[in-house]
Amino acid sequence: MAADASTLKQLVLGRKDVQDLTDTEQELPPDLMTVNMGPSHPAMHGTVRIVLTVDGERVVKSDVQPGYLHRCFEKESEHATYTQIFPYTDRLNYVSPMINNVGWAMVAEKLMGITNDIPKRAEYIRVIVSEMSRITDHLTCVGASAMELGAFTPFLYMIKCREWIWELLEKVSGARLTHSYVRVGGVSKDLPDGFHAELTYTLDEIDKVLAECQDMLNQNKIFRDRMAGVGAMSKEDAIATGCVGPIARACGLDYDVRKDYPYSIYPEVEFDVPVGTTGDCFDRYLVRLEEVRQSMRILRQCLKQIPDGPTMIDDPRCALPQKRATYNTIESMIRHFKHIVDGIKVPAGETYCFLEGGNGELGFFVVADGTGRPYKAYVRSPSFVHLSTAGQLIHNHMIADIVPIFGMINMIGGECDK
Amino acid sequence: MSVTTNPPAGTPAADAPAPDPNKVTLTIDGQTVTVPKGTNVLEAARTLGIDISAFCYHPGLPVVAQCRQCLVSIEKNPKLQPSCQQIAADGMVVHTTDAQSTLARKQMLEFTLVNHPIDCPICDKAGECTLQKLYFEHDNADSRVDTPKVHKAKVVDLGPTVVLDQERCILCSRCIRTCDVVAGQHQLEFANRGDHEVLTTAPGAKLDNPYSLNVVDVCPVGALTAKDFRFTMRAWELEATPSVCNGCATGCNIEIHHKHGRAWRLVPRHNPEVNDYWMCDEGRFTYHDLREQRLAAPTVDGLPAGWDRALRAAADQLAVGRANGQLAIALSALHSNEDNFALAKLAKAWGLSHVYVAAKPPVPARADGKLRVADINPNNAGVKAIAEALGLELRPIYELDPNTRGLLALGDVLPGVEPGRLKELSYVAITAHERGPVLQAKIALPATAWAEAAGTITNDKGHVQRMHAAFPPPGQAIAGWEVVVRLAQATSVDGAGKLAWAHAREVFKDMVAAVPAWKDLTWAREARPLALRFAGSRG
Repeated sequence: MAADASTLKQLVLGRKDVQDLTDTEQELPPDLMTVNMGPSHPAMHGTVRIVLTVDGERVVKSDVQPGYLHRCFEKESEHATYTQIFPYTDRLNYVSPMINNVGWAMVAEKLMGITNDIPKRAEYIRVIVSEMSRITDHLTCVGASAMELGAFTPFLYMIKCREWIWELLEKVSGARLTHSYVRVGGVSKDLPDGFHAELTYTLDEIDKVLAECQDMLNQNKIFRDRMAGVGAMSKEDAIATGCVGPIARACGLDYDVRKDYPYSIYPEVEFDVPVGTTGDCFDRYLVRLEEVRQSMRILRQCLKQIPDGPTMIDDPRCALPQKRATYNTIESMIRHFKHIVDGIKVPAGETYCFLEGGNGELGFFVVADGTGRPYKAYVRSPSFVHLSTAGQLIHNHMIADIVPIFGMINMIGGECDK
Repeated sequence: MSVTTNPPAGTPAADAPAPDPNKVTLTIDGQTVTVPKGTNVLEAARTLGIDISAFCYHPGLPVVAQCRQCLVSIEKNPKLQPSCQQIAADGMVVHTTDAQSTLARKQMLEFTLVNHPIDCPICDKAGECTLQKLYFEHDNADSRVDTPKVHKAKVVDLGPTVVLDQERCILCSRCIRTCDVVAGQHQLEFANRGDHEVLTTAPGAKLDNPYSLNVVDVCPVGALTAKDFRFTMRAWELEATPSVCNGCATGCNIEIHHKHGRAWRLVPRHNPEVNDYWMCDEGRFTYHDLREQRLAAPTVDGLPAGWDRALRAAADQLAVGRANGQLAIALSALHSNEDNFALAKLAKAWGLSHVYVAAKPPVPARADGKLRVADINPNNAGVKAIAEALGLELRPIYELDPNTRGLLALGDVLPGVEPGRLKELSYVAITAHERGPVLQAKIALPATAWAEAAGTITNDKGHVQRMHAAFPPPGQAIAGWEVVVRLAQATSVDGAGKLAWAHAREVFKDMVAAVPAWKDLTWAREARPLALRFAGSRG
């Protein structure tokens, strides 16, 4: 007979020594046990709860429950003007907010039919800040996962790199994390003085740090043992569940929105899309690391190619007038007032617009009714889709494996709980 | 008016029914529309959802076609025509989006803005300004003018209610016509010519008619602003809840514009059967009363008390009169149908054969054959109908039986009953305001005012009109009918179960079942406040 509940309780409370128990009592109960992981747990990226049914240490059933963050992004969007929604998008995937900004601008521009009229310089700036954000996104994901497996040093190194980039983005936008930098029709302001030199220097420094981190992790036995072969997914499963981004690419799926549905100035830069073979956590890690290098490659090209010119479209429907004109002519004053109070008038219609976010295809579906705010906004957030595979991935793994699997899914609460 | 989709213009089908001689069919932007004879092109276009821009046109006013903003091109007509003045004719083909009329709209707006001051940040109309709206939708071009603007008078006191800014005026004459048509008094006029033309009153004259504030509503820009509202609240921050004016027996349909739990202004709502597009100034100011001398908590002997204690005390007070048949109940012509019906039902349950009605005395000087009437009580008709339906004899409150010892009265007016007499009574008041006779009450129970509760009132023509709750009542006040329900429970009325309504809708349902004339009435859906910011500039 196994230990009954009261005996177990005594054990837990320390009132009875294990030595005092009979042999049968010393065995753990053979029944399945239900364990709560989260919603607030140090190894969970964001507030998500997993109700695990475990057989000893092995997960036999899991119930992944997102929804603890109450973001209400989609509903809130119905009550804000298109411009006011940019700050909301900052908080979707808050590790790469610039990409969300660009995505939201693109969907409004598509509805207004001005996608091809955005000034070249603005497009380059958008790509530059997007790729910088992608680097921070991957560094955070990889660094945090490594830390959770015990490798604290790479985490500190990578977060150091992330901080360099965020400092640069702060110079660009004025905010370290919640940038709200992109606007419908362009970007809110031009790059600051000395940006080129600083970014070039930062990229060189990151190169060095990446090499160090790679040395520390790639042949590290603990890291490899816990990542390789863990949480593998087949290419077919990735397609069936709608996985995108680094997770799908680690499974060998060569899909990157930047290549397959090119937007902005991505056709003008050279880069490769890294693809894995096994689809396990280690491949996801390798793909992310290589994407960081590819992003740096794109950034270096952009810095060479970026033209001079305006950073905002010259279209009174979405461009705010110059301050000087606003204060001195009634026409610009009215336009400024209308843009701020009523919002940009987006013609009635509905559209889906997508781009490559940090975690994969990030899409916005908007129904516009001709007023200054969306009638309905929907975000196809990669984290939400990826989280839906988590239950399947951790099935039959040990509880300890949940940590690297969940880390490599890179669920971001702000984006998942939309 | 019916709308059909795009058959070839001018080729009626062979088997088409004989055309209605009182209707004409025309084509606007490729869509065919049939409208009654005499309709102008602008209105015909609006039935199709095509909103032709206009400043001077107002559906409730005579057409003058002087802003030239609604110019459209009509086939076989060499010149652009003002669509507000152009009467729709059979076979007419109108274009509103062709190059010629689009350019005309842009150019008219450019002209209009040449001398317009840069006032939006300090202008009360900003956010609900037709000029802003039309410029943004139809022109949106940068200024091409580099000459100084013509300056005019900024703060012209037109009368007791309205201030004029002559620089902002775009000379549409809507206000002049409003005074002519609504008030029947010609108090405004244009003076001078060209870009020195200004709106003004005759020397020594004033804009002082009782409908003067309608000029502020019709003003498409911020030239005319209400002294009562200006610089109090930005228009786009307000929320609008539909309601009915409680100022007199006309029951003008209004919108309560509110924010932060209080009303900031009342504006008329279109209802062709009651008030058309207008309301009187006196009615507009009634919202001030919603914040004055309000009773926020039950009082016993003039001191605040909890609901439970006050209700117990009220039951005790009324018990004396009830035992001897010396209890009087007074309905109020100032309260909603629901409040009065609930109290009348209580009177029935207590076996009373007659009830009193408390109403403000009529003001004959007020009646002008337009919107203002002598009866300044919003619900006299409703009280009469309810009392009659329940078989209660209705007596005016000044005929209060001298033997009365207990009085349960709705409202804060009891004309003809001396304060000294009230003091002797076991007087329980259900009231929104603490003033007048309420000061003599042994118990005062706080009720909502008209803007704070859902309900209906009946105007002098018998229209039962719905009011919506715009904001919460002060303190512990609850709806008047709900006070009656609580009182009925506290006094353990026989059949108190019948008085156990939980929502005004339920009171209404019982009420229309009881009053034969109202049997077909239905309780409208609850109206959610409309944020004016997202309603666009409604002009």
